[in-house]
Amino acid sequence: MNESVLNLGAAPGERVAAVPVVRNPKLDQWICYWSIPFFYVLFGLIFVLLARIMPPQSPTSSAADIVAYMQSPTLRWGIALLALTLGLASMASGIIVVQMQRMKGLSAALPYSYLAALAVAGVPGCLFPCFVFALGGLRPEYSPEIQVMLYDLGFLSFVGSLGVFTIQYLVFAIAIFLDERQIFPKWLGYLTIWALVTEIVAVPVWVTRTGPFAWDGLLSFWLGTAIFVGWEFLMCVCLYRAIKNQPIEELEHHGG
Amino acid sequence: MAADSGVVPTGRAGRVPGEGSMWFFVLGDFWIFSCYFACYVHDRAQSPESYLAGQQLLSQGTGVLNTIILLTSSLFVALGVQAARASDIDVARRFVTLGGACGILFMLIKAWEWSTKIIAGFPAGTEDFFLYYFMFTGLHVLHVCLGLLILVLVWRELRKDRPRPMFVETGGTYWHMVDALWIAIFALLYLVR
Amino acid sequence: MNTRDQSICLWLVPFFGVLFLLGLAIFPGLFPPLSPTMGAEEVAAFYRENVAGIRTTMILFNVIGIGFIPFFMVIVVQMMRMGNPSRAFAYSYLSAAASGGTLFALADLAWLNAVARPDRDPQLTLLLNDLAWLSLVTPVGFIITQNLCLALGIYMDARPRPVFPRWVAHFNIVTALLMVPGAFAIVYTTGPLAWDGSLSFGLRMGTFALYIAVMFFVTRSAIRQQAEEERGVGLGLQAIA
Repeated sequence: MNESVLNLGAAPGERVAAVPVVRNPKLDQWICYWSIPFFYVLFGLIFVLLARIMPPQSPTSSAADIVAYMQSPTLRWGIALLALTLGLASMASGIIVVQMQRMKGLSAALPYSYLAALAVAGVPGCLFPCFVFALGGLRPEYSPEIQVMLYDLGFLSFVGSLGVFTIQYLVFAIAIFLDERQIFPKWLGYLTIWALVTEIVAVPVWVTRTGPFAWDGLLSFWLGTAIFVGWEFLMCVCLYRAIKNQPIEELEHHGG
Repeated sequence: MAADSGVVPTGRAGRVPGEGSMWFFVLGDFWIFSCYFACYVHDRAQSPESYLAGQQLLSQGTGVLNTIILLTSSLFVALGVQAARASDIDVARRFVTLGGACGILFMLIKAWEWSTKIIAGFPAGTEDFFLYYFMFTGLHVLHVCLGLLILVLVWRELRKDRPRPMFVETGGTYWHMVDALWIAIFALLYLVR
Repeated sequence: MNTRDQSICLWLVPFFGVLFLLGLAIFPGLFPPLSPTMGAEEVAAFYRENVAGIRTTMILFNVIGIGFIPFFMVIVVQMMRMGNPSRAFAYSYLSAAASGGTLFALADLAWLNAVARPDRDPQLTLLLNDLAWLSLVTPVGFIITQNLCLALGIYMDARPRPVFPRWVAHFNIVTALLMVPGAFAIVYTTGPLAWDGSLSFGLRMGTFALYIAVMFFVTRSAIRQQAEEERGVGLGLQAIA
């Protein structure tokens, strides 16, 4: 063991020498924490301004419009930036799992489920659809039929990947309700149930192309997105409090 | 532990029955469903004939029956909560059981209604109405499922030596919300002409 | 600590399991599975005629697709109780379970897109159909690795009262072997190794269903054992106090 770093074994009264005092013992958690707003602002900029995936293009666009969208010059730049930065989403899982593991009265099964569910979700729910768009943008010479298929595949996967997120919300809500320490407040658990329900409200995107339940519809997309943004924001507030209120003694290597 | 964090829901404030966090859920749920209903009313105004044509295919009798069942179950649960407050635990448990049984009956009737609609198919032009019908009633049945789970937890609480009345009240609050939501859905889908 | 959370994750298995079986029962392309030798026109016609059934199943699978993840995580937590030198096998199991789930989610998206626009060029419907079947049947490597990690963990469990009995390790090895043929659906389009073949499809799916069912019961006893042991420790502490 490197004694200059750890003095956990030091006997009382023994001079604690050469131990660098950790100025901010929760630095790692705060770095992960602040990655969340950073990532989501970037995510919003990419999706709204560059790739124009949000708000979604219309499910009933004509083949000519679809080809034009696929060839729009900013689409591929947006997806390139996303390919570069989507990994940051993992840091959000990291910090949430750390705080979930502080909960009392439950094992690691729920935090690990959260971790695994989000590890799955990143691919069908975000990266795969974006790569499908990138594919369409890569070769203008693909036939319009193929471009239409890629367009469907992209938007439907993006808006219609549901179960990967429902499981994430489900385990998170169960963990909050079982937790005897109230690391996260109970109302966040209820909010999480709504987030879960809005995923289910998006089921009809696979069936209908017009009206409020289409992939650009008022209920499937806009209300779902509004609740997701609200959830993410309040989640950040609760997470901030949870990290802030975590006693220093609880940290694994608090340096003294 | 002093560091235990977060906003601890202030359950015992005032005379409001049940936990504060449950009220947060109930009010938020009404808010979300209001958004759904507003959408429905707006869309219905665009093509009233097709929605009316869809509506005619629903059996009002079944809707009324389900409403009565759910109102009865709400009454049972309310009586159960009252009995629990009066520490009449055995009676409370019996009422909660009856309330849950009504909930199950409601779901069975709903399943039967759905299956007849699916087997019969929908005439062209009524797809939009039936999409709303299945989404609204489906979401409501999800709420009923959750409500039955909560009633089971309440029932188990009532088997303890000293059940917490707060827990029973919170469960009751949720169940009344499920009932209120159904009445709104029933009015919109079955009655509004 | 109590084991309530693990029991909840465990009981999600019958809940999602019944829904999975229901979805399979509705799926029109299963009895028998669509043959890889079908032509584009034939496949496209099949999708056009069975939009409702395929959609219902695949929407259901979309929503419950990774429903077994919490159960696999209970197994991870139980593996961590084993008397192994480290938690390496448990973490490997976790990672493999997540990757396997991703492939299933992608297969589901391909199917749903095949019926999203049934009047597509038949060649494209064929492409989506092939993508779906191959993603469903062939990536057996993850579940095999899961099983092998669990088996190795059980063999090396040094506890006097092991978390899982030894036969569970043998069972995991056997089921891993039975799922091997699935990978060769990439090479063969006819015979028992094709994606509709008796070995690649029937045996693989049957084995998986049996595996989940058996693991449900042995995991339930492992959780009970943990609850018992922790109650024992609690009583011991009370006695000391």
